[in-house]
Amino acid sequence: MMTKPADAAAPAAIDLRFGQVGLMQVRIRSTDPGAILDELTGRVASAPLFFQRTGVCLDLTALGREPQLEEMRAVMDAVRRAGMLPVGLVGGSAAVESLAATLELPVLAPSRPQTQAVPVIQAAERVEPGIPALIQHAPVRSGQRVYARSRDLVITSTVGAGAEAISDGCVHVYGPLRGRAVAGARGETSARVFCQEFRAELVSIAGVFRVFETLPPELAGKPVQAWLDGDDLRFAPIGA
Amino acid sequence: MTEIIVVTSGKGGVGKTTTSASVACGLARRGKRVAVIDFDIGLRNLDLIMGCERRVVYDFVNVIQGDCTLKQALIKDKRLENLHLLAASQTRDKDALTADGVKRVLDELIAEGFDYILCDSPAGIEKGAHLAMYYADRAVVVVNPEVSSVRDSDRILGLLASKTQRAEQGNGGVKEHLLLTRYNPKRVASGEMMSVEDVKDILGLDVIGVVPESPDVLAASNSGVPVIFNDESDASLAYDDAVGRLLGEDKPLRFLEEPKRGFFARMFGG
Repeated sequence: MMTKPADAAAPAAIDLRFGQVGLMQVRIRSTDPGAILDELTGRVASAPLFFQRTGVCLDLTALGREPQLEEMRAVMDAVRRAGMLPVGLVGGSAAVESLAATLELPVLAPSRPQTQAVPVIQAAERVEPGIPALIQHAPVRSGQRVYARSRDLVITSTVGAGAEAISDGCVHVYGPLRGRAVAGARGETSARVFCQEFRAELVSIAGVFRVFETLPPELAGKPVQAWLDGDDLRFAPIGA
Repeated sequence: MTEIIVVTSGKGGVGKTTTSASVACGLARRGKRVAVIDFDIGLRNLDLIMGCERRVVYDFVNVIQGDCTLKQALIKDKRLENLHLLAASQTRDKDALTADGVKRVLDELIAEGFDYILCDSPAGIEKGAHLAMYYADRAVVVVNPEVSSVRDSDRILGLLASKTQRAEQGNGGVKEHLLLTRYNPKRVASGEMMSVEDVKDILGLDVIGVVPESPDVLAASNSGVPVIFNDESDASLAYDDAVGRLLGEDKPLRFLEEPKRGFFARMFGG
């Protein structure tokens, strides 16, 4: 039963691993807790399951100043009340670092103050490596959620009823799509949803979504793509 | 080499316990040493179906808490001497189960040299169901041909693929099988009930058995004799086929069509 290496005298209490998890960022533009709570609860109501107890990091770079500790505590309280869990801060300054230390939060992806201005040309020369799509071969079962952060999601199997396939880019399902497909989860309006057999419960692109209480007969069971045309979500059979 | 098989479904009332009892008896009847554990703490049922409810002295929780030895709690079946039952506790709740405790009991059963340990899961997806599946090598997912049961099974299959020791260690995961129960070919033909193909298609898994809906199942439960012992019953034959397939035998599915009318038609008409 046990497949531990023979030299391990006692089973290890922990494993240290690097892993990537999708994390939402809340960009703070105002520290008014009332306004934050109002806006967040509005967003959460649009997709309660997606936001429920979601870890978020608070991006303070857009604030244009360093918030006070008490101010920051009030902001975090508002975020928690909206049902999300602040797990870190984003921000470059030393003040944010010390704020984070006091709040016992990590500073995630700090844009550390450059000691010297980096020549612009050098930055332009850096080629962004393309991030390959997240490919999943196992079926996404009811109750499961797969999230491809900053990239496309390719599922070679089925997405079951009550399952969620979420991507910041496009969602491709090479099997029946019976659950939910969310493309452009962080607002990318050019993202699309493609599937081999359309039976979706919900399709969303960049926050514009449509629920299918009954499937339109021209789409049901067919290969379909969905895209955003202005504020309208459009659907069409592929290869018809 | 002991194999741990969980019988699970998500949804209640689909026939997990009936299946556990019949599969355990079927395996034992083929000479395997089998222990079957009732994980439904607080709602002890398997002992009733197996007809040994009056012989339960110690239970699974007693063993976990060290009130007795495993040997004292294992109830030997009166019909098959290589079949043993570990009953659930009727007086406790599911919090009495711990991952460590379950592992200790399973390890002890493995050390005893059982060929198969069957874990009869409670309904739901909470602690009892989680622990019943956690250490499994294989899973028999019992599903009725109706939409809510199929969806709950899909959920359970997702948990089997992520919340089990095999999934966490990444060594191939739990081998999953579907077993359809309460299958009524007449209602399938009239479109009232989902067909085997529909269920296979949605869950994307092969079917290890199709047990036809039969009054014999209820009668068997009430009399404490697992239905597999009723050789006259289609349900019994279907369960025996499923046991054979679990052991790797290649048998075509039967009882998918409405029974032919008349004795000769049934005997010779296929």
